Amino acid sequence: MRIFSLYILNKAGGLVFQKDVNPGIAKLTANDYLVLAGTLHSVHAIATNLKPAECRSLNETAQTVNGQILSSGKASTPNVNNLGLQHVDTDYFSLYVFQTLTGIKFVLVTSPVAKQDHSHESPLSTKGELRKQYELVEEYFKQLYVLYCDYVMKDPFYSTDMPIKSTLFEAKIKSVCEA
Amino acid sequence: MSDKIINPSVPTLGSLTINDSSTSGFGYNPSVGPSSNAITKETSSALLNKRAVLTPTSSNSIYDRSLSTKKSQGISVSSLAFLFCEIVSWARRLSNSILDLENRLNGLGYLIGQKYLELVKLREGMKYGKRENKILEILQFIHGPLWRAIFGRTANDLEKSQDVDDEYMIIDNTPLISKFISIPKDYGNLNCSAFVAGMIEGALDLSGFHAHVVAHSSPIEGLPQRTVFLIKFDPLLFTRENIHFS
Amino acid sequence: MGYNIGMRLIEEFLAKTGAQRCESFRETADMISKVGFKMFLNTVPQIENFSSDGTSFSLILTENPLAEFVELPLTQYPKIHKELWYSQLYCGVLRGALQMVQLDTDVYFVRDSIRGDDKTEIRLKLNKVLKDEIPAGED
Repeated sequence: MRIFSLYILNKAGGLVFQKDVNPGIAKLTANDYLVLAGTLHSVHAIATNLKPAECRSLNETAQTVNGQILSSGKASTPNVNNLGLQHVDTDYFSLYVFQTLTGIKFVLVTSPVAKQDHSHESPLSTKGELRKQYELVEEYFKQLYVLYCDYVMKDPFYSTDMPIKSTLFEAKIKSVCEA
Repeated sequence: MSDKIINPSVPTLGSLTINDSSTSGFGYNPSVGPSSNAITKETSSALLNKRAVLTPTSSNSIYDRSLSTKKSQGISVSSLAFLFCEIVSWARRLSNSILDLENRLNGLGYLIGQKYLELVKLREGMKYGKRENKILEILQFIHGPLWRAIFGRTANDLEKSQDVDDEYMIIDNTPLISKFISIPKDYGNLNCSAFVAGMIEGALDLSGFHAHVVAHSSPIEGLPQRTVFLIKFDPLLFTRENIHFS
Repeated sequence: MGYNIGMRLIEEFLAKTGAQRCESFRETADMISKVGFKMFLNTVPQIENFSSDGTSFSLILTENPLAEFVELPLTQYPKIHKELWYSQLYCGVLRGALQMVQLDTDVYFVRDSIRGDDKTEIRLKLNKVLKDEIPAGED
């Protein structure tokens, strides 16, 4: 799997960071990126409303997670995107959306899940591949979020919700994502 | 005598005079020494009613603790980085130019440098039984023990400028406090390690080596945050050395 | 100052712990003291005096890295040792951080040992949970 680009969206759905980390994806105009970000944000929000009529809350999981953090000190994933749009698969790319508790979205565009010869494999194994890639991307997301904390949040020249210009952050992102 | 007070050489403290102790009432005024707990007309009544106010004799006062033990529980680098980040943006709000901002950071570091010098010296127990009185010695002390006490390791390099006689350089490949800070393009060659430059300057001034210290970024491959602290000594110091040691 | 720090610091807290939204303010209290303070200041304050409705509690700091080397000076200005809350920064940090996870709170000092009090106590009071501002997508 290869990461093509990273988008960071602020709480309101504004694009604050966009970077093609690896070549392989066509460039859009600056305006298109903004539109794309805004659209993703809205689709994500609308998707949260699509749920079974009798929605069973999964809140117990949230509490067990916090309980575990308290008792074992082990970190869990900072992704809280449970109901919204999580990922999109096409023949040319996969797109993943992660969201933090403060409402920041990290969007990763990657190469598609490796195609498999379906003739002698059960459909189940493709599902496994999807899952595997999702977990891999989630690992990337964790690292990127930590970088965001380090090089954006601790930069006195960054103002909240504004576009990120930090050169250090860009360099670090590159070194993490470059394959 | 009193009108002939020798002010400290540095602009940040240069404006202080002996009269300032009565207006500010506390803090360290180098021209009079520690004045914080001086007994004056105003404070004596407070001292007499000891119970009502906090005095140095309150329980668990810092004065009751040993100065030389290195007990430090340690906080995370993140906390320091967040605090420093906020200090920089606070200083930035108050300043009207890049130079002004750098001077403010320098001034904040200056006081810390002075205090740290004393503390490190004390903890070292005056190892060699004398103080550094040559330029090279004091530089090695700052590069080594002082740096280790503050940042947990020695600085990466100590060099003498090849072009100018009175300049020395301390080089830090990965400066701790500006580790996470990217300087935007429109801030020119600002370097937030000006704070550390101020610390060096404070330590040098206090030990009698008047100098001007500036932090410059000089990134090299793989070390984007590499910082050079350029130390320019007062030319009189070299005259002094010549007389004393040649 | 503290508020700005808190706004930024919460991101790091979430990134490194992966904490989920808390069910109750009690849980928040636990997270703040046992994870937050531990992580950033290497000390675990005690939680005391939970109000009966569960919307306010006190953090008792046994150690205070911010004021470890501080002794308030005795001067002609009684305000310094009577009215100054030296570590007020913490209040801002807590308020800012909680605001970012949609908890509107009041945070203030009740006692401070560097003023001569027997303990250092910070009181947190939950005003309300800003439900409307919770980003979409959570459960």
